[in-house]
Amino acid sequence: MKKYKHFTNFDKEEKWLNDMAKQGYRFVAKRSFCYEFAADAPDNAIIKVDYRTFKKKEDFEEYLFLFEDSGWTHLSGSKSSGYQYFRKADPRGSDDIFSDIDSKAGRYKRLADMWETMALTFIPILTALLVSKAIDPGVLLDPKSIYYTPGLWDMEGAAFWRAFLFETPFAILRGCLWAIPPLTFALYLIFAYKAHKQFKLTQENKIIR
Amino acid sequence: MGRDKHLPLTETVYYILLALTEPAHGYLIIQKVEELSNGQVRMAAGTLYGAIENLMKLKFIQPVSTDENNRRKVYAITDQGLAILRLDMERMRHMIAVTGDRI
Repeated sequence: MKKYKHFTNFDKEEKWLNDMAKQGYRFVAKRSFCYEFAADAPDNAIIKVDYRTFKKKEDFEEYLFLFEDSGWTHLSGSKSSGYQYFRKADPRGSDDIFSDIDSKAGRYKRLADMWETMALTFIPILTALLVSKAIDPGVLLDPKSIYYTPGLWDMEGAAFWRAFLFETPFAILRGCLWAIPPLTFALYLIFAYKAHKQFKLTQENKIIR
Repeated sequence: MGRDKHLPLTETVYYILLALTEPAHGYLIIQKVEELSNGQVRMAAGTLYGAIENLMKLKFIQPVSTDENNRRKVYAITDQGLAILRLDMERMRHMIAVTGDRI
């Protein structure tokens, strides 16, 4: 089974994955926004998420060794994926992959930094779009201008609606394509802000788990 | 008198440095820290990984070899790490000395 979801909060993500396991959906892997589950017996799994990227393959290996030795099975994540998913395998081991507040908060800091960097890479693109006047909020004031069908606005009745509805998808694409980079930029900034807020909250120990 | 900006060490960092006076790989550090602290400090994997990364950046510890059999990196304390560990011990020794007379 596949589920598309996006979390900005690791604690909620972990809880969701554990709840899924209780319902008999064993978490298998995650690729961008898609979580893959396999049907299995209901299980009180403890799944934990870390966020880390690695420069060298040996650093990633070393990281995985440490978790495996400490009783955690690595479920999903690659050297550069950032998100790393672990399931508790040793019943005598600890219930968390962090043992102090600072390191628990640290994963939110790394996540916030990543979203911030992603947002920053959009600044040259946005600048180029603004300079080249490709970003054109003017269409919002004059939506008629994005319809190219000759004489469309003089048509009447069914003929008008047919032509109008036929062109609308194309007009939206044409008129609003420029909005994708600014919206993506805004989305990344929101993610960065949320991760940063969670970092502060965790660090201030308002979240005791 | 200005003191080293890394002082005082956290309890965890102190025990990690103390554990690495003998070379050890990651999980062995966790076990040694637990043993040295009488079971008081039990580090989780994610926390130790971050601590190792940080202590390497500060050059308080360094990788000395890789275990041929299981490919795990082996770390050891550096002279710099040893110096800071001694400074922190002196700091605590002083605290204990002044406290002993007063309570």
